[in-house]
Amino acid sequence: MKRELNDILCCPVCKGDLELVVTEENDVEILTGALICHACSVTYPIDEGIPNLLPQNTTS
Amino acid sequence: MKILPPYPTGLVPDKNQVYSPREDTFLLLRAANNEILPADTVLEVGIGSAYIIWNLSPCKLALGTDINPHAALLAHTQGVNIIRTDFADGLKKYFSLVIFNPPYLPTSPEERGDDWLEFALDGGPDGREPVNAFCTRILNVLNDSGRVVMLISSLQDFSSCEEIFSKTGFNYTVVDTEKMEDGEELRVYKLTRKNQMIF
Repeated sequence: MKRELNDILCCPVCKGDLELVVTEENDVEILTGALICHACSVTYPIDEGIPNLLPQNTTS
Repeated sequence: MKILPPYPTGLVPDKNQVYSPREDTFLLLRAANNEILPADTVLEVGIGSAYIIWNLSPCKLALGTDINPHAALLAHTQGVNIIRTDFADGLKKYFSLVIFNPPYLPTSPEERGDDWLEFALDGGPDGREPVNAFCTRILNVLNDSGRVVMLISSLQDFSSCEEIFSKTGFNYTVVDTEKMEDGEELRVYKLTRKNQMIF
C-alpha cells in the first residue's frame, strides 16, 4: 500500500481516522504494518502490501 | 455479512478462485473509459482479475477493493492499488468515479458453496442483493458530483434495478448495451446523486 493512501482510509466500522504503523516499507510502498482505530480499539493488519479493512472479528 | 469462504493457505493466490474477464468486463471497461476524465479519482469495487482497473485510461488515482483474498493478492502483484474490504467500507468520501460489476447470478442459499469464485458470482435469490447493498453504501465514498458506472444484466431484471437506483437516491441513464447470443442483455448504467447540483 502506498503511504499516501492512508489519507483516504478510515475505520470500516466507525468511519473514524486510523493511525498508520509501519513495520516494513520499501521504495514503493508499505509492505507490513497496521492501521489502528483507537475509538474501536481495533487493529487492521497490512500484510504483503495489502491493507485488510474487513471487520476483524468475523474474518481471518 | 455472509460467512466468507476460507482464507487461502499460504500467500499464493489461486487464479481459479477469481472471476476471469468476459463480455461483461469488456463492456464495462469500454463504458468506464468513455466516462473517465484525467482529473478523476477512481474506485473500482470488486476488482476480480483487475482487468478493468489495469486497462483504464489515465486518471489522478485508481484504487480497487475486493473481499476475495486471491483477487487482492493477484491485483497487488500487478501493481494495482488494492484494499481488501467489503464494497467500499474503510474508504473516505473521495471518489469522483466508481466502477462496479456486481455479482449477478440469482443464487439460492442451497446453491451457495464455500468457494471464492462462487462468492464473486452470487447475487442472492433475485440477483439484486449486491446492487442494493452497493447503492446504499457507496454514497459514503462518492463525491457530491461523482458518477457511478455499473453493469446490470437482464437476469437481474432492469426495472427492479432501476427502482433500487431511484429509492437509494440516484438518477440513472443507460450509457452502453450489448445483446448476448443466448438472449441475455447487458447494460451499463451511469448513476449520479439525485441532489447533485447542475452548474
